[in-house]
Amino acid sequence: MLGFASLELALSFWLTLAAALGCVIWGVLNWNKGDDDNPE
Amino acid sequence: MKIFVTVGYLGIVFFLGYLGWRNTKKTEDYMLAGRQMPPFVMAMSYGATFISTSAIIGFGGVAALFGFSLLWLTFLNIVVGVFLAMVFLGGRTRRMGLSLGSMTFPELLGDRYGSRFIQGFSGGVVFLFIPVYAAAVLIAISRMLEVSLQIDFNMALVAFTLILAVYVILGGLKGVMYTDAFQGTIMAVMMIILVIAVYSRLGGVVEAHTALTNMADLVPPPLQEKGLIGWTQGLAVGSPLWLTVYTTIIYGVGIGVLAQPQLIVRFMTVKSDKELNRAVLVGGLFILLLPGVPYVAGALSNVIFHQETGMLAIQVAEGNIDKIIPLFIETAMPGWFSTLFLLAMFAAAMSTLSSQYHVGGTSLGRDVSEKALGLTSGGSFRITQIGVAVTILATLIWAWTLPEAVIARATAFFFGLCAAAFLPAYLLGLYWKRATRAGAVFSMVGGFSLSMFWLLFVHVKESEAIGLCNALFGKVSLAADAAQGSWVWLLQWVDPNVVALPVSFILAIVISLITSPPSDEHIAKCWSRLGKKA
Repeated sequence: MLGFASLELALSFWLTLAAALGCVIWGVLNWNKGDDDNPE
Repeated sequence: MKIFVTVGYLGIVFFLGYLGWRNTKKTEDYMLAGRQMPPFVMAMSYGATFISTSAIIGFGGVAALFGFSLLWLTFLNIVVGVFLAMVFLGGRTRRMGLSLGSMTFPELLGDRYGSRFIQGFSGGVVFLFIPVYAAAVLIAISRMLEVSLQIDFNMALVAFTLILAVYVILGGLKGVMYTDAFQGTIMAVMMIILVIAVYSRLGGVVEAHTALTNMADLVPPPLQEKGLIGWTQGLAVGSPLWLTVYTTIIYGVGIGVLAQPQLIVRFMTVKSDKELNRAVLVGGLFILLLPGVPYVAGALSNVIFHQETGMLAIQVAEGNIDKIIPLFIETAMPGWFSTLFLLAMFAAAMSTLSSQYHVGGTSLGRDVSEKALGLTSGGSFRITQIGVAVTILATLIWAWTLPEAVIARATAFFFGLCAAAFLPAYLLGLYWKRATRAGAVFSMVGGFSLSMFWLLFVHVKESEAIGLCNALFGKVSLAADAAQGSWVWLLQWVDPNVVALPVSFILAIVISLITSPPSDEHIAKCWSRLGKKA
């Protein structure tokens, strides 16, 4: 719970960090994907 | 010291603006940065434009009052504003814009629906309303300059405008994005220092949160009555505060961001989807820091203020939430940090303003004057430069003439109008081949008109500040004298987008279905780069 008194706010903290981490993972996995010659 | 750092900062900004100017040869450079921006610059520019001083000072102060609930806003900013926007809208926007040769967001809409009216109407809405929104940012930073460097407010206003005018008018979008990336970097570094300093001062992450948890019985009674249980305990479900925080988060910011022309145009500045994928990485981290860190620092400022003065943040700031973050930086952080923090605030304001000026200028020059009205004298490039100059001037005039209460509401105005006017036509235009010109026109004009009506006559926050409803009908909102507690009476607190956005979507879908579809040839052109998934 990281010192938070409610699960909802502990969740907001964890999910915010997880969302940023998700963006990093997405960026790394797709680092070289999406060149114009090779759409999607 | 402050003057020295400020001059050094401005020197770098001018140098980057000069680089933008030197590398701007043709219209595409001026409006879309040549469609060749590296992912780091694109992502930092997107984030720095997205987050202005008000997100740091204003919402940081709100977090001091309401606590950690505001972190949901950061969560949505990352998921919707960065991930969904870049992955699901960015790539399609870029590729469709390239196929159609569109240079601005209104032009993309106009080209997709084959309508100069749509381009002119969208450009007109952006040009008319963005200077009022920009005036809010300009006033805020000029007030800060007045307080910290003891420069006269009017002089600060003019000086700021002139500095920005030089690099936006001459440097175009390249100048704007290079300086944004530099300014975004300053903002990000300051936030890293701030979050480490706050948590280490309070003995660690868990210790800091626990200390705030233990202060729940200090919540002032008026806030308790409105639904605040505690800063780490959250808000009572269904209470007025809960409604305000969650509807504003979901409608005002979560969805509103998807229809901001100055952000959408950045998707068209990169060479391929690869850059957008990489930008997701940078953008996600940037938005975690901004606005994430000011919210955390704002909430935890209560603990530090209580330890030092025995008072809560809002009491130290004498009830003015906009003073909480500046006071916190001054009292809790070392002197050198407050100097650099001021710089980060300049950076936040300038990066937002420069993009507002640029998008207002391209709307007036390219979309309204050149494409909708057919004025071609001097060429596209020159007309757009004149458009930027007019936008800058209009912003200065608004900042001087409008009362501040109206200006402050202008931000909500712009977000509300953009979402209702543009979002359905934009989303359906990218994903639904059956969406027609008539559907888009009805959705845009209908959504805009309803949103405008709601803001002027129903939603009391704006209608009261603007005063038109009072002048015509003798009451602050048309819903004001309905029976107290009835659903009509409650309408005055309902966000315009709760009403106008669904209506705008329904109009777009229904009118599209009853009008004849766009020609196969046109759709094939629009979708030519959208691949198999289209």
